[in-house]
Amino acid sequence: MSETELARELKTTLGATALEIRQPSRNNIFVTVRPEDVPAAAQTVWDGMKSRFAIVTGIDVPGGIELLYHFVFDDKHTIVTLKTLVAKPFPEIESITPVIPAAEWIEREVHDLLGVTFRHHPRPERLILADDWPEGVYPLRKEFKPKDPNE
Amino acid sequence: MGFTRWGLKKSPWVYHVNTGACNNCDIEVLDLLTPRFDVERFGIQLVGTPRHADALVVTGICTRQCRPRLQEIYRQTPKPCVVFVIGVCALTGGIFHDAYHRWGRVDDAIREVDPNAIFAYVPGCPPKPEAMAIGVLKALAML
Amino acid sequence: MDIGWVILVFALATVGTTVLGLLSKWVDRKVTARIQWRVGPPWYQTIADVAKLLGKETIVPATARKWTFLLAPVVGFAGTAVAASVLWGANLSGTGFIGDLIVVVYLLTMPSLAIIVGGIASGNPVSALGASREMKLVFSYELPFILALVTVIIQAGGTLRLNGILEHQAASGMVIGSFSGVIAFLVAILCGQAKLGLVPFDIPEAETEIMAGPFTEYSGAPLAVFYLMKALLLATVPIFLITVFWGGFREGWQVLWTVPVYVLILVLFVLIRNTNPRLRIDQALKFFWFGLTPLSALAVVLAIFGL
Repeated sequence: MSETELARELKTTLGATALEIRQPSRNNIFVTVRPEDVPAAAQTVWDGMKSRFAIVTGIDVPGGIELLYHFVFDDKHTIVTLKTLVAKPFPEIESITPVIPAAEWIEREVHDLLGVTFRHHPRPERLILADDWPEGVYPLRKEFKPKDPNE
Repeated sequence: MGFTRWGLKKSPWVYHVNTGACNNCDIEVLDLLTPRFDVERFGIQLVGTPRHADALVVTGICTRQCRPRLQEIYRQTPKPCVVFVIGVCALTGGIFHDAYHRWGRVDDAIREVDPNAIFAYVPGCPPKPEAMAIGVLKALAML
Repeated sequence: MDIGWVILVFALATVGTTVLGLLSKWVDRKVTARIQWRVGPPWYQTIADVAKLLGKETIVPATARKWTFLLAPVVGFAGTAVAASVLWGANLSGTGFIGDLIVVVYLLTMPSLAIIVGGIASGNPVSALGASREMKLVFSYELPFILALVTVIIQAGGTLRLNGILEHQAASGMVIGSFSGVIAFLVAILCGQAKLGLVPFDIPEAETEIMAGPFTEYSGAPLAVFYLMKALLLATVPIFLITVFWGGFREGWQVLWTVPVYVLILVLFVLIRNTNPRLRIDQALKFFWFGLTPLSALAVVLAIFGL
């Protein structure tokens, strides 16, 4: 897939912080960054390039937990995703909530479900798991085995 | 058949409880209450508070968070009352049977509060409004 | 007039008007169903509702004031029943006293008061919110209602007796026949819509907004009494309007006229109910204070000039 203008613009704006820029389809651009560069890269893409912050997603892969920060450029019909890998068993990353206040709840959800600690998060409380859910058990990790309560 | 028992058969007021459903069953319950299927001819009315209800329409997998709330709602419904368990998820969990947040079956949760609770089961994913209507009528005929 | 006769009239009027009210409630639901291209409930539906409610257990919340909570519907029902008896007494046998018109108007606010007191005594914030909405609504529609009745009083020569109004209408034609009478009747219909708690003015019991408003904590027998009270009011308000605007039914032949008018008033309530969305409380207040009050004041002025 040939590079679009947006991908070139990302390369020049982010410079060395962007370790790799991939564009598997016309509407998706994946930018791999190091965990410690995430707040600065988020600030650049969200505020500097004027995009809309959509959501944060995460997945448990063999190398650790992969966090994806999705930003949408509505006028260019493209989603730009910042990919970063944090190591298990105690994954930690700097929170982007001081930069983007709307990320507060989704980071709490990622913490509940995948166990990623967000440093300098203003309210690191439980969000979506039940009040009596045991601490330290993260349902979306591969180690967690689902069990039917009626068996 | 007593006067009040006849009244209960002819005028079941319904309160809807969602204990963690994907909303598909809730949409079908809403469809059932629209003018197309006209359940008002059987006296069925949707009420806004469990204290006015004769029938609890329960959907969802009964999550850990929702179980005490479902039990509280059942306690607040004046007896005699019937619990309609709608959809496969409320019956056995459906495709979410081993979901991490599921506590168990809806009727087990309510039997913890009242071992003599009356249940009517309407399976389906989601059950058609016609199936729900037939389920309600059959349950009322057996009262 | 001995006490036995009074009690007999009261009992007959209460039971009869309640049955009439339950059937009128059924007419409301059936006409609503037909407008929505449905079939609708059978004729015994409202009776089945009451039967079912009488068979349910009564739950009194721990935060409620128990005796106020349980007695509020009884007081509302009793007030409406006395108003119905006074109206039937005036129409059927000419009994009454000076000022019984004021007494009837006062007693017809008892249902709203019962709802307010019951809602506040429930100990539930949603009920208190519904009760405060009902207070604001009563505050708004009582003024145009009373002005509409002032129109009738002026036309009848200043009498405050229901019999005086009936005699005046027998002598010189129904109040509805005059220009000011028509305006006053329309104002009274809209105020009646609010008094009965029908859309567009069912703001206190807005199901989609605040659960069941003041009735949220009621269950079983007290709820059955509230249901009967609302049915009784649904029959009493049209009878009151017929007495003061359409000449009542003192003479036997007037019944031929009264029954279609009763059905007409009922159908008017139902049609307005089915063709309008619910108003917000501030919209309802503005409508009654700045829309209907000047209109009914105009009717009073026209009545003074004899129109």
